[in-house]
Amino acid sequence: MIWIIYANAKKRKSRLVMTVGGIAIGVATLFALLALSSGIEGALEREIGGLGAHILLLPEGCPYTLTLALMQGADTVEYVPEDVVPRVRETENVRVGVPVVVGKVKANGTLVPVYGTTEDIFQLKAWGRSPFSGALVGSNVATNLKLEVGDRLTLDLYSEEPVEVTRILPTTGGRDDTFVFVPLATAQKVLGLEGKLSGILVQTVNVSRLSQTRTTLGKMAEVQAVPPSEVFDALIGLFGSVKQTLILITGIAIAVGVLTTMNTMTMAVYERKRDIGLLRALGSTRRDIFGLFVSESLLVSLAGGVLGLAGGYVASYLLPRTSGFGIDASPHFSLAYVGICLLVAVAVGTLSAIYPAMMAARMQPIRTLREL
Amino acid sequence: MNITLDRVWKSYGVGAGQFWAVEDARLSVSTGDFVSIVGPSGSGKSTLLHLLGCLDTPTKGDILIDGESTARKSDRELSLVRRDRIGFVFQQFFLNGSMTSWQNVLLPMEIAKVRDRRAKASQALEWVGLGTKLKSYPSELSGGEQQRVAIARALANSPDLLLADEPTGSLDSETGARVLGILSALNTEREIGVVVVTHDGDVARRAKETIEVRDGRIS
Repeated sequence: MIWIIYANAKKRKSRLVMTVGGIAIGVATLFALLALSSGIEGALEREIGGLGAHILLLPEGCPYTLTLALMQGADTVEYVPEDVVPRVRETENVRVGVPVVVGKVKANGTLVPVYGTTEDIFQLKAWGRSPFSGALVGSNVATNLKLEVGDRLTLDLYSEEPVEVTRILPTTGGRDDTFVFVPLATAQKVLGLEGKLSGILVQTVNVSRLSQTRTTLGKMAEVQAVPPSEVFDALIGLFGSVKQTLILITGIAIAVGVLTTMNTMTMAVYERKRDIGLLRALGSTRRDIFGLFVSESLLVSLAGGVLGLAGGYVASYLLPRTSGFGIDASPHFSLAYVGICLLVAVAVGTLSAIYPAMMAARMQPIRTLREL
Repeated sequence: MNITLDRVWKSYGVGAGQFWAVEDARLSVSTGDFVSIVGPSGSGKSTLLHLLGCLDTPTKGDILIDGESTARKSDRELSLVRRDRIGFVFQQFFLNGSMTSWQNVLLPMEIAKVRDRRAKASQALEWVGLGTKLKSYPSELSGGEQQRVAIARALANSPDLLLADEPTGSLDSETGARVLGILSALNTEREIGVVVVTHDGDVARRAKETIEVRDGRIS
């Protein structure tokens, strides 16, 4: 059967290329969209989960912006006063409260995010314990700045602070790889934020009482208590609505693809009246003719689907990888997405072929031959 | 195999535009016959051939295949009769230009999923003397060769009856004679019933029986 389709396609190369191209664009868009969305959702989950806290104590303001700033090491306008920390630690059900200040500084002349904290941070991270002095450098920073343990690092913004690299942190695949972790006082001095914190990471003893603990902490002056899961849900919800719009647009593009392919197939039926009439005269049944046209359309659509998958794969690496939340999200590919896209291609092929194939099957052989 | 037209009438058009292409036709064709149908253009010869080949249905009367009425046969049943028992050859050859001669013969069998179709296609082409042209495209073949490919295609399913509509009409006399020779051989060597619509006197002379059609009536 394939050779028949190939032989017929040879006669109409440019039309075939346009049809396959149309389907490929739709499938490529869908595939890239699915892979990028999944990558962004995964990155959000990884980044927010990577904070390691049950509750974030943040300055007053938009909790989502402030959480993202904390994750990215970006400067903010509002800060948490440092004297809140002892009260947080004394609060019932708080196992650990880790003060954090973040900001961008020049490290050996290159702008990097710096993360000032205490050695309590080891309780939230899976790095393994080590003395917390000098600078603990994320693996990406170490690679970019060609740093090794024992090297000197000059942090420079509002003041200059030379520190020794005491540890290169293990690669986590997350935001931690991009930070330089230094003692809280060092970071505060360089950033000009003495007595101020970007936030406090709180871990509770009993997670089932998280809600009460959050309420208690939230009552403190100049701070708000936000569970990272809430931030995650809000950001995913925000992203989800964008994603739905994009999927809708892609759906429209695919629907247009169906109509275009249907038009092409209908034209092909008219152009191939002679072939159809002859095949019917030679004994092909209506079902045979219907099958021929549906198979042709399916094969063309599958070719478009496969080409679209390849195009989508390339496109997802060429398109900007950021989610708009400042998170570096690599596309995530899965067999399920390949399956969905090929199913869409098959659906396009089937839907677009039904009407023209029925039209071809209904042709009376004698009428067709008489018209020639 | 026997096909009988039993008082068959065929009209086209409706109302004032209706005209009778075939009137009260009574004709019987069997395996082993060689019948030529002659008559002026527009006399209803081709319509008669199409009715014999179950390509068309009568307005009145009945077509019997081996004594069985076709009136209640489904489109699929009639298609299978055409596929398995009748071969068609047309004046314009109707070959697919993007397929080789072998593929053209294979095409109807491929769609119908006929067993051993590849070998059958080759054998049919060898029988019409085109065993060396299996991979040639129609544009690379002469008119006579193209008509022989069309005959091979009609023979592919070993029909009992071959219906040819002006098979030599587009060919020069020498090539036409060769095609006619093949049709005769089919009739004598393979005992296939051959019905030829023709204007060609040579064809009519080769036939065992000649039927003349005038104004839709067999005279």
